[in-house]
Amino acid sequence: MRRETQNVLLVLLGGALCKIAYNGSFLRYVKPALLPFLICAGVVILSLGLISIGRDVRAGRTVSDHHDHAGRSPWLLVLPVLAIFLVAPPALGADTVSRSARAVAPKQPAAALPPLPAGPAPALRMSDFVTRAVWDDADSLHGRQVRLVGFVVHGAQDSTYLGRLVMACCAADVTPVKVRLEGYRGLAVLPQDAWFEVRGQVVPGSARSNTHFTPTLTVSALHPVPVPTEPYEF
Amino acid sequence: MAALSTEQLTGQRRVTSLEVLCAVLVLAVLAQGPLTRMLDIPAARTGATVFVAVCVQAMPFLVLGVLVSGLIAAFVSPLALRRVLPRTTTAAVPVAGLAGMALPGCECASVPVSRRLMQQGVPPAVALAFLLAAPAVNPVVLVATAVAFPGEPRMVAARFLGSMATAMVMGWLWARVGRPEWIAQRALRHSERPPGCSAFAVFTETARHDMVSSGGFLVLGGLTAAVLNVLVPASWMASLTGHVVLGILVMALLAVVLALCSEADAFVAASLTAVPLLPRLVFLVVGPAVDIKLVALQAGAFGRRFASRFAPATFVVAIACGSLAGVLVLGGMR
Repeated sequence: MRRETQNVLLVLLGGALCKIAYNGSFLRYVKPALLPFLICAGVVILSLGLISIGRDVRAGRTVSDHHDHAGRSPWLLVLPVLAIFLVAPPALGADTVSRSARAVAPKQPAAALPPLPAGPAPALRMSDFVTRAVWDDADSLHGRQVRLVGFVVHGAQDSTYLGRLVMACCAADVTPVKVRLEGYRGLAVLPQDAWFEVRGQVVPGSARSNTHFTPTLTVSALHPVPVPTEPYEF
Repeated sequence: MAALSTEQLTGQRRVTSLEVLCAVLVLAVLAQGPLTRMLDIPAARTGATVFVAVCVQAMPFLVLGVLVSGLIAAFVSPLALRRVLPRTTTAAVPVAGLAGMALPGCECASVPVSRRLMQQGVPPAVALAFLLAAPAVNPVVLVATAVAFPGEPRMVAARFLGSMATAMVMGWLWARVGRPEWIAQRALRHSERPPGCSAFAVFTETARHDMVSSGGFLVLGGLTAAVLNVLVPASWMASLTGHVVLGILVMALLAVVLALCSEADAFVAASLTAVPLLPRLVFLVVGPAVDIKLVALQAGAFGRRFASRFAPATFVVAIACGSLAGVLVLGGMR
């Protein structure tokens, strides 16, 4: 591959990284804390390409006649560029949840859980909700309405779940959390992967090993919401 | 860009790679609709997201690696390196392993740096010990491990020991049985600074060249990891409760195919609560030393003949060192 082509690829790749950092879609792929590093990486790659182009232009043909024997591997750099600019893959969703193994018990919290926030129906993170349902000795969820945000996952035997993915670092390492929904008409026809805010109350004792630690929520209301800017929990 | 294309017009008559690239880009833009539709089945969409995620996650670390590599090429002379390292390879291997603590990155950063070290005259065995140690024993990774296993502080010590032992055993093993001809010549060719070339020019040229050559292999690794991520049934992990020996083998294989960043793998290992602790430690020791994207990067940097020998050997050594460190530090099979 010629030097010029490599430089153009570097400019495109750096531009692609800057683009997802700028428009926020990087949150579909990595955790928010990576942002500064992502910007640095994009700017460095972009500058390496531009500096080299500038140097070749100034030096004239003598430099650009020189072939760089890096082999064919640099062609692969086209793939992430095309994937980012043309396809822009969405955040992971229901497919990943159904692909995952049976859910394992969430980790036991180190300290006693604080009481739920006051108010008629506090918003909880899905992972906190499941942890409370499994481990909370004080039974803080008992008799309380809560609000959860997640996407629809249809499982076996007509069961419908609200799912969310918890990320450690990037989308390759997500672990799913899910809550079984019941007691509301039309749950079975909700579109897969659509995002909803669900209001409801946990069925006591539903998050046991026989349900693979998946709590059941009796739904009292639900309404569609736009995909959150941070689609994963951390 | 304009200047380049006029050069193209006055120059060769053959089709050049730049024209091919333009054609690929134009075709891709025209075919965007069908392309997007093709990826609209759930498994392909998941794979595409994982692919972009692995690339995006690894790029900053690769950039760090090529910048360090460029700095070494421009400012650290082979003579200075020789003076810092102990004279004999046997003694230099542990020093290189400890020096790995100073590169706060994941495995993508250490490949270009260790290749640069070889080009600057560092013996391959020493550079390889650095290659294996750096991603696993640096402070960022150790802190991440401590955070991921709050109830098990010994996990950090066990990981440090296991990874350091892997790096040193592989270094000494290479010094004993490794042959220089297994490493591609291009990896060892020392780049003389052309006369009249500024240090800045050497720095940017080296970094640019390393970025282009390693970047492609990183993408290849990301692609493989994405395909395996979709294809490998997750039920593998759920079936490991209580099986230590089977668990060690399966977790070691998983570490290879999942190709997680060494800063993230501790969190994944911590979440696999059904698996005993020892297999999870092996997962943490194997992952930074040998995984799909790392093998692709190594094949690119040092040649296929090197990678086909080094990767399997590292795999076996890492399993052994990880298990041993686990038995010693964690106190038995659990």
